[in-house]
Amino acid sequence: MKTYNDLAGDGGSNFVGQVTSQLEKLRTRLDKIKHKIALMSGKGGVGKSSLTANIAGCLAERGYKVGILDIDLNGPSIGNLLGVPNDVKLNVDNDGVHAGEGAKGIKIMSMDMLLPTPDTPVMWTHKSGETASWVSMLENTAIRELIADTYWGELDYLLLDMPPGSDRIDNIKELIPELAGVVEITIPSSISQHIVAKSITKNNKVGVPIIGLIENMGGYSCPSCNADHPLFSGQDVEELCRQKEVDYLGKIPFDPRISEKTGNGTLFYSEHKDSPAAKAIDGTAEKIIKFIKSNS
Amino acid sequence: MKFLCIPCDEQMETQTDGIMPSDSKNLALKFKCKKCGHSIAMLTNKFETEFVSKIGVEMGGGSEEAKSPFNMVGNTLSQAKEILNKDKPAEKQELVWTDEAKERIQRVPFFVRNMAKKTVISYAQEHGVTVIDAKLMDEVREKVGM
Repeated sequence: MKTYNDLAGDGGSNFVGQVTSQLEKLRTRLDKIKHKIALMSGKGGVGKSSLTANIAGCLAERGYKVGILDIDLNGPSIGNLLGVPNDVKLNVDNDGVHAGEGAKGIKIMSMDMLLPTPDTPVMWTHKSGETASWVSMLENTAIRELIADTYWGELDYLLLDMPPGSDRIDNIKELIPELAGVVEITIPSSISQHIVAKSITKNNKVGVPIIGLIENMGGYSCPSCNADHPLFSGQDVEELCRQKEVDYLGKIPFDPRISEKTGNGTLFYSEHKDSPAAKAIDGTAEKIIKFIKSNS
Repeated sequence: MKFLCIPCDEQMETQTDGIMPSDSKNLALKFKCKKCGHSIAMLTNKFETEFVSKIGVEMGGGSEEAKSPFNMVGNTLSQAKEILNKDKPAEKQELVWTDEAKERIQRVPFFVRNMAKKTVISYAQEHGVTVIDAKLMDEVREKVGM
């Protein structure tokens, strides 16, 4: 009697062929993007998306072609931050779904762009609880489609705005083996550093290069007297970098304008270049570029 | 998974036009031995069905719809922009799907939806039916033995 390996196909479904085709499509798309960088933090609420948007703006102003993929499927915010609202008209043709174009010409793809109204949540079935066990696998497939089926054109940088937590990096590493590295982001609080330390450890264990750590909301510059005041108490973030042997990419002082959305094509970094926060973002972007150049 | 007809020692083939899964996600697929013609049905439970549906492949081979961008996302989100809902049951101009029939076919997992649609359309055409409604779909399910 024939055995499994004696049978050439699977009787007509060609699952292997379908999966191979999916991966070829993904590879073709990724090959048009020079550098892929994930911006992440084990902790939520540390300003990942705002920083991602402004670092992208820095790169775009330096003449690079930049895109951002919002991996935060359930809490997408990049579109709003960069002026690609939920009601943007999707352009679908043989090239795929065209990325939205935000401030500074930054290409954007986000779940928010796919939903019919601003307050529509990402729900995978009509019936609650039906897919709870399968959400992780389903989201992995969704991320593959968001990368592979989006027409990005040629890009120098694709920034991945990661959701809170460190679990999603496994999927990203599998989908994008050539990932240039991750930028970790923390705020100075002890709890944030505690969790980000875990994220750094995990990335080291799974072999994802760490470009460095950004200290966000590292104090508040008083607009009246220009004196710096701390917002959070915690150990020196540079000390965490020394302990974990990762580069310190800089301290971004808190500025409430950073997270303002830009419906008119503007961006905090571009509009307030003389502010301490914008200068710090600029320095951070410079270090990221330096890392990429020295590792390319 | 592969299926072997033991008497013929031949691989059984997926019957792409003979599927009518129920809404409960208990997938039923037919396989047939091309040598002796013997057919079997593969019955899966909800969890086995869910597994296949989440990796973005289709039973019976990838359809043209599967090549559309955001196929899994567009067909799995409970609410998505209209442009992503490509999977409308209206291939044949002469066939009209009632709202209830449309709703029922949309409840079929997307990775077997095209096969199910093909089954219903073939049945309707063979029987000179121009309006596909829930009653016809029940009839198809009964006739194809699922």
